[in-house]
Order: sequence, then structure tokens, then C-alpha cells
Amino acid sequence: MLSLLGGAFLGWSLGANDAANCFGSAVASRMVRYWTAAALCAVFVLVGALLEGQAGIETLSSLTSIDLEQAVVITVAAGLTVTIMTVFGLPVSTSQAAVGAILGIGFFNQEVNVSGLGKVVACWFGTPTGAVLVALVLYKLLALVYNRLQISLFQADMLLRAALVVAGSYAAYALGANNVANVTAVFVGAGTLTVFMAALIGGLSIASGVLTYSRGVMETVGRKLVRLDPFSALVVVLAEGLTVHFYTVLGVPVSTSQAVIGAVLGIGIIKGAQTIKRKTLYGIFTGWFLTPPVACFIAMSIYFALHLEYVPK
Amino acid sequence: MFKFLFKKEQQLESLITQYLENLTRTQEHFVKAMDTCLDEGLCGEFAFLIEQTHKFESKADEIKEDINVLMYSRALIPESREDIMNLLEQVECIPRIFELILHLIRSQKLKLPEFIVLDVKDLIRISVESCDLMIKQIDLMLNNRQGIRALMSTIDHNESHCDHIERSLMIKVFESNIDRIDKLQLKELIIAMGEISDQADRISKRVNILNLKRRV
Repeated sequence: MLSLLGGAFLGWSLGANDAANCFGSAVASRMVRYWTAAALCAVFVLVGALLEGQAGIETLSSLTSIDLEQAVVITVAAGLTVTIMTVFGLPVSTSQAAVGAILGIGFFNQEVNVSGLGKVVACWFGTPTGAVLVALVLYKLLALVYNRLQISLFQADMLLRAALVVAGSYAAYALGANNVANVTAVFVGAGTLTVFMAALIGGLSIASGVLTYSRGVMETVGRKLVRLDPFSALVVVLAEGLTVHFYTVLGVPVSTSQAVIGAVLGIGIIKGAQTIKRKTLYGIFTGWFLTPPVACFIAMSIYFALHLEYVPK
Repeated sequence: MFKFLFKKEQQLESLITQYLENLTRTQEHFVKAMDTCLDEGLCGEFAFLIEQTHKFESKADEIKEDINVLMYSRALIPESREDIMNLLEQVECIPRIFELILHLIRSQKLKLPEFIVLDVKDLIRISVESCDLMIKQIDLMLNNRQGIRALMSTIDHNESHCDHIERSLMIKVFESNIDRIDKLQLKELIIAMGEISDQADRISKRVNILNLKRRV
């Protein structure tokens, strides 16, 4: 069980960081109480992990053959990468960190599933671009319906708030279903856990991160999203949920943060406004390109260090 | 169906309706006070009506405070909160102007000369009509009904008419032979009366913008 701690830590930090992408705007604007949002998020993350987490777990566990020691190294390396990138203020994807670390061990083992890796990398490119497209289409469609509704200001307000809670819950479901693989898939590859147990433990660890440490991130990240009008914030959360869910069906873990950024850019295209500053975009791209090699390097270094032996002359 | 989840919003809707009804009551007492003043001068009835106007103005403050408290206890989304709060701040100026006018008449013991009474009555009538239309316009905005723009045009037209009466009153006062001090006192009163339709016009334009803002 101790060997699972690295994965549990990774899941906890993922939950603490990524809950903001689901309920940040609703909580920061005080539309939903923090504890209501955190409880809904935790429940839907777990449900998502249990119902649809299997595909992602199978994809990641098939990238290379590993043993339990290597699985632990991968989770610790991914966790360290996320921490280091966060310390440097760079947006980081846990999915990229996990895959980078798996690759590092794969290089050591001289065994990498190239077609599986190709699929994963292609989906990384597809996440922000896909979210841009989904946000564009969703905005146009929902605006068409919303503008035709004959409802009072108060009813419109209630509708938007209810929709934000539903969309946030859906995004949490997609987060659990998609990202649980980052947390425990390596233990399935190592033969320590069954797919169901991996989904359960992974889901619970993400949910614990949501419940214990997501408040600060939700409020700071949320405030950035709240600068959008409530309708656009709703479209962003819904587009994020749909994009991440799409990749869940394909069985590829992707980043919810990158999906959110893509969706916000999509809103910017529609409104003809710059929704994200150029400097922030540079940070996003830097984090996007650096995360996999950094995780790969850290995993290789840890594994190498663990196998150093003292050879007396 | 899910109305039980949004009790605060329903309370807020009812408070805003109460606020607007209270504004109508304040306005009715102001008109009665002005009519009494113009027809009978500063009498006991006028003093009573000033008190009544003040009572309704204070009640408006209380309702507005309740609205603010309710809105900041997580009712409505932040954008709507801000819009409604700013709108009510602007609406609040109208009963204040009513009180200011009545206070000017009472404290300075103003007696309006006969040659301006008809124009003053006209100015008050059109200004109050603008306020009625503005209240109707706010109600339309809250309930997503048509006709906001048409009301804005009427209020705008009334405002121009009031400006015209205001200027004509000033000319009449300053061309008359009354005491110079009386002229200055009347000038202050006329400016205050003209401010009613100006404020109604400003609010009406704001309501139109808020209505456009609701479209995505």
C-alpha cells in the first residue's frame, strides 16, 4: 500500500489544482458556496473515474511495461514535475507530467509503445484547439437559444446559475473520468491494481484534493475567469467539459487547464477581444513544451540514482 | 420547477417591486404637496404632505438597504447585482429631489408668484409623467417585455419639453419686478424642479443600455 502514496499525492495535487477549472468561476463570484461546489466536484470526479476512467487507464498502462518500483518512480517524478513547474509559476498539465515520466522509464526499459504515444501527443495538440472550436460553436448555439427566451431578469439569472452548477458538475465528471489515469494507471501497468481499484483509489485521491485544498486555487483561478461575463463563463466550463469528455472516450488523458485556456481563446475570437494576455500565453506554451521533457528527465534521474551501486576498487 | 432553490431571488424580485411602488407613493405625496402649495400656499396640509413624502423617502432607503443586504448574501450573479445596485442608486436621487424641492419651499418660505404658477404646474406634471414612465420602463426591463426603447424616446421628449419650460420660467422670473433675492431663491427652485426630468432621462437611458447588455 505504501507504494501507492506517490500516486495518491499526485491525485491529491491534481484535485486541489484542477477543481478550479470546473467550479472556479461560480465560487469566486459567490454564485455557489465553496463547500457546495467542492462536494459536487468531489462526487462527480469519483463517479467519472469509476464509470469512464477505464479507457485512459488502459492507454497509459500500455505505453510501456513497468514493475512496481518503476510505477512509484513515475508517480513521484510526475508529482515533483508538477510542484517544480508550479513553483516557477508555469501552467502545468498533470497528464503531460505523467506521460513524460512514463516515457523516461520506457527509455530505460528500451520499450515505448510508439503508436500509443503518437495518439497521446496528437490529443495534446487537439485539446486547446478542440476547445477553441467547441467554445465557438457552443457560444453561437446557446446564444441563439438564450436570446429567444422570454424570461425575466431574475429567471435569466437563476437559469445561468443553475446552468453553471450543472456545467461545473459535468466538467468535474469529465475531469475524474479523464485524469484518473494520470494517478493510478502505472500501478495497473505494474500489475499491482485492477482497473476498477485504480479508478476507485485514483478517484478518491483526486476527490480528497478537491475537498481539502482547492479553495485558494478556486478563488484565484476563478477570479480570472469571472472577468468574462456569466454567459461566457458558462460556455467556457461547458466547452472544457465536452472537450475533456471527448478525449476520455478516446482514452487519452489531457489537461483540463489547457481545455479551459482554449475555450477562453474561443470566446475572445467571438467577442473580438483579447481574453488572455500575450505574456500569459507565452507562459502556457512554455509550460506545454517543458512539462513532458522535465518529467522524463526527473523520472530517469530518480531511477538512475536508485540503481547506483558502490563498487570498491 | 426549481424555484425552491432560488428563494433569495424571489425575495429580491418582491423587494424591488415594493421599492418601485414606494417610489410611486412618494411621488403622489410630492404632487399633492406641490398642488397644495401652489393653490393654498404654506399651510398645515402642506406641512403634513412634506412629512408624508419624507416618510416614504425614508421607507425607500430601508427597502434599498434590504435589497443590498440580500444581494450581497449571494442572491443574483455579480454582474446583475452591480447593475441593479447602480440603477437603484440613480433612482434614489428622484425622491431626494422631491424632498429638496419641498424643503426649499418650506425653509425659505417661498411664495410662488402668480405669473409662473401655470408653468410650474406644467413642469411638475411632465416631470412626474417621466418618472411614471421610467418606473414602467424598469418594470419592463426586469420582466423582459418589449417597449423599453419607445418609453426612452417619450422620456427624452419630455425632458426636452421640461428644459424648454425651465428656460422660459427663468426668463419670466428675471424679467419680472420681484425682489432680487426672491429671484435667486426661485432660480434655485426652478433648477431643482428641472432636475427631476433630467434624472428620469438619465435613468431611462441606463435602463435601455442594461436591457441591451442582457443580450449575448
